[in-house]
Amino acid sequence: MNQKPVLKQAFISSLPVLMGYTAMGFAAGVLLAAKSGVKLPALWAFLTSATSISGALQFMLVDWIRTTRPMLDVALLTVCLNIRYSMYGLSLIERFRGIHPLKKLYLIWSLTDETYALEVENKVPPGGDSILYCLTLAGLNHCYWIMGVVAGALAGAALPFPDKGIDFAMTALFLVILTDQCRERKNRIYAAVGLAASVVCALIFGAQKMLIPSMILMLSALIVCRKSLERIAGTPPEPEDEVKP
Amino acid sequence: MTGTSTEYLLLLAAVTAGVTLLLRALPFLLFGTGKRPPALILSIGNVLSPAAIAMLVVYCFACYVRDRAPLDHMLGLAEIAASVTVICLQLWKRNPLLSILAGTAVYMILVQTVVP
Repeated sequence: MNQKPVLKQAFISSLPVLMGYTAMGFAAGVLLAAKSGVKLPALWAFLTSATSISGALQFMLVDWIRTTRPMLDVALLTVCLNIRYSMYGLSLIERFRGIHPLKKLYLIWSLTDETYALEVENKVPPGGDSILYCLTLAGLNHCYWIMGVVAGALAGAALPFPDKGIDFAMTALFLVILTDQCRERKNRIYAAVGLAASVVCALIFGAQKMLIPSMILMLSALIVCRKSLERIAGTPPEPEDEVKP
Repeated sequence: MTGTSTEYLLLLAAVTAGVTLLLRALPFLLFGTGKRPPALILSIGNVLSPAAIAMLVVYCFACYVRDRAPLDHMLGLAEIAASVTVICLQLWKRNPLLSILAGTAVYMILVQTVVP
């Protein structure tokens, strides 16, 4: 059948992401040009945004480049930042089953928060190809993100401006994510566990070395106190709901 | 700045992209064959994200304490004012971009004007 309505609907669904990604990407690109000290910011903006497609990571990268963070730290921090992605696939396993491996690889590679939300919403027109819809959405969102980050890096490199304090954008991004997560009552106790564990580790180990001990302490607390935390959060785990297609 | 080596940047791009792809692929690799995810993994996976983001917020502030506090004549007022701006705007308007831009603007103005 004619799949043109599917492409059209995918484009319409992606429009809010166009606004969000170009603007957020632009900010991350400006930060990269201003603070990382790399010689060709637009090139690195393109390479990192095209391969990782991750907002928080794009901001965090700037700090890692500036301080030449060791790769083990980089890998562990990437896990911290993006661990939520490892949950998204659970609700898409059935939908993506049996499709061409390259298509599947691309759909997995491009699974950002926003793309995931739109794919789960799945506003594909009746009789339309759901995988084509997802591929189009993912491809469009991917392009928007790269466009935003590269444009920001070009603008930041071309127009130097008084940029002292611009690195607060990363802190602000984490505060926004945390604020949204804490809207849900059940998340608050787990945020508190992370907060307590990391404050303790920051006091003992200092900023430079706090992250790995914090992760270990936090995970231990989450596993050991699992039952009482679930009681406080007020939500028994419902694994049944997690694997529905 | 002397600039970071190309080798470091390439490695950084590869590691971050590789780890992120692996995280995204994890459920397909582990449970793509129809096996059921163990309850412990699912429940930890569901709750790790708020804890990890809270840790990253603490990390950002720990970095400020290390880098700025010794020279800060405002005793962290800029950080506090900017953070309150971000949280209040996000609670009120639910627009991430607005919250981030406004908070960063407050911070930049304060550290560029009030603090020498």
